[in-house]
Amino acid sequence: MASAEDAFPIPNGLCVQLRGIHKYFVRGGERLDILNGLNLQVPEGQFLALMGPSGSGKTTLLNLIAGLDKPCEGEVWVRDKCISAMSEAQLARWRTRNIGFVFQFYHLLPVLTAYENVELPLLLLPLSASQRRQQVEMVLELVGLKDRMHHRPGQLSGGQQQRVGIARALVTDPALILADEPTGDLDARSAEEILDLLVELQRSLHKTIILVTHDPRAAARAERILHLDKGRLVDHLPVEPPIPVRGSPRRAGTE
Amino acid sequence: MSMKLLVLVVKNIRRNLLRSVLTGLGTMVLVVVVILVWSILWYLDEQTKEKTTNMKAIVTERWQMPSRMPLSYAPELRAGAARRPGDIRPQDSMTWQFYVGSTEPGRLRRETALFIVATQPEKVLTMFDELDTLPPDSPDRRPLEKAIQAMKTNRQALIVGRERLEAINKRVGERVKVYGMSFKGIDLEFDIVGTFPEGRWNNLSVMDWEYLNAAVDAYNRRPGVRPHPMTERSLSIVWLKVPDMRSFTAVANQIASSPSFTNPQVKTETLASGTAAFLEAFRDLIWGMRYFLMPAAVVTVCLVIANAISLSVRERRKEFAVLKVLGFHPVHILSLVLGEALLLGVVSGLASAVGVYVVINHVFGGLKFPIGFFSTFYIPAQAMGWGLAVGAATALIGSLVPAWIACRVRVAEIFARVG
Repeated sequence: MASAEDAFPIPNGLCVQLRGIHKYFVRGGERLDILNGLNLQVPEGQFLALMGPSGSGKTTLLNLIAGLDKPCEGEVWVRDKCISAMSEAQLARWRTRNIGFVFQFYHLLPVLTAYENVELPLLLLPLSASQRRQQVEMVLELVGLKDRMHHRPGQLSGGQQQRVGIARALVTDPALILADEPTGDLDARSAEEILDLLVELQRSLHKTIILVTHDPRAAARAERILHLDKGRLVDHLPVEPPIPVRGSPRRAGTE
Repeated sequence: MSMKLLVLVVKNIRRNLLRSVLTGLGTMVLVVVVILVWSILWYLDEQTKEKTTNMKAIVTERWQMPSRMPLSYAPELRAGAARRPGDIRPQDSMTWQFYVGSTEPGRLRRETALFIVATQPEKVLTMFDELDTLPPDSPDRRPLEKAIQAMKTNRQALIVGRERLEAINKRVGERVKVYGMSFKGIDLEFDIVGTFPEGRWNNLSVMDWEYLNAAVDAYNRRPGVRPHPMTERSLSIVWLKVPDMRSFTAVANQIASSPSFTNPQVKTETLASGTAAFLEAFRDLIWGMRYFLMPAAVVTVCLVIANAISLSVRERRKEFAVLKVLGFHPVHILSLVLGEALLLGVVSGLASAVGVYVVINHVFGGLKFPIGFFSTFYIPAQAMGWGLAVGAATALIGSLVPAWIACRVRVAEIFARVG
């Protein structure tokens, strides 16, 4: 568990703070430890890449930060909220405004158009139809798909679908974007375009982005790379991003 | 939000159109079964529901079924056995004698049988159920009035229900000879002068009671013949119309206390309780319809819907997980799944109710399901509500478990790769 002095809101300038996170599953009567006393600090506006072999706990970590799962021990703070203490209903409301999630396989609703898919999270907010339309069109323009907004996912390429996925993640203007292998299902060119887009979003909109990836080339686009192995952040390899990144300096914050 | 959710519901239903259509059709077929059975039960319930005003009472033999009372009981019974000043008299009355015969000598077959009520012709429009409430401007009233007028001038006139007329292959205006079965040896010739409006009396015929009784007298006058066994015991029912329950009770007491009706004794019942007693013979059939067939159909609709929605939910577990990631509350997902089932159930239920109403009432001319003297049943307008309610209720019940499973989807498990 986090110590007493840690039980306060996270310091200014931090977007995510994980304190003493333990996560394990029990399968067939056997305890399977996924995360072992993990600590992490992610500053506002940082583009962080999480790497690690399969089974290292990357997705579990992402789910904990998104409030989709709860730690067995420890606390998850996102900005000024300890989300690991929230109820499911509170988390659902909180996620709408604070988290944008980008999936590897896009997970767009096939019966809805690109516009309607992007509009989905806005339906949970008290916005008028015209306000929703304005926001949806704005983010679709941002990802370069305004001309395809009435197409269904089946009528779009993988790269375009992922752009819709990113637009959906952005539409509520969340501070934190979580991307789980967003280029894992794309060809090299589309993957490059998506990474360009994420970098651009981080730079122009000052979003905090946590990217889970296996791909070193994708990770190289981040400001900071963390390696997860056997449930611990064992390595911290700052890299020189190919594109100069404006904003927060690299800082240590892991153990 | 709710409008957008409705759009999403419709789109999800259209997603697997074949499955939705098949589920809808399955629901429709079973709702039709429910409506048909319900219509019959509803009609029988209506017939056995006690009225409080404008009531009909029936007087029959107390201890024997079928009732056979002496014809000499008729005048006093029709007066409600009123014999003292202040006694209540019925507002109207009629007698029924049953003459069962065949158009073929010696053989009673479905195609030849005639079940004839011998009564007072003028009472057809004042005492017969449903005919006594025909509005003056009803298109059915004028031909019936004409037929009754013909009965008053021609003792051999006969009004035959539509189905019976068709069964014996006769038309209005034709003559028919009927060989007596209940009155053995008394064969009668009739002129068919009219028919009843479509419905309740489709299988009944009505003759002038004087013609029957004159024929019995004529039989008895034949030299060397013993009096006909039906001579003294031919009166089956006496119908009395009373304004309210108080009058009914008074008349029933007058009849019960009259010394004239001791051998055989008689009983006085409301039409509703008389009908209920008559329907006792069909108790098992009605029980089976009410407590077995209907629940079985309802449960089957629930299962059909549960199956379809379960399949749909299983296929879309990832979608529900995505919705949760986007911030949708479990209640939203529950509403989404229930909404899909509800829309499917409501549309199917309403469509089948409208369809069965139109087809049964206007194409087939009613549901032929003989129970006693009820032969044809119609789908009441209330069936629209029943169809809608059955469709909606079964959809909700059937989709409750799949909807609960959908809203309890654990996102971390769905996207778990433990990696």
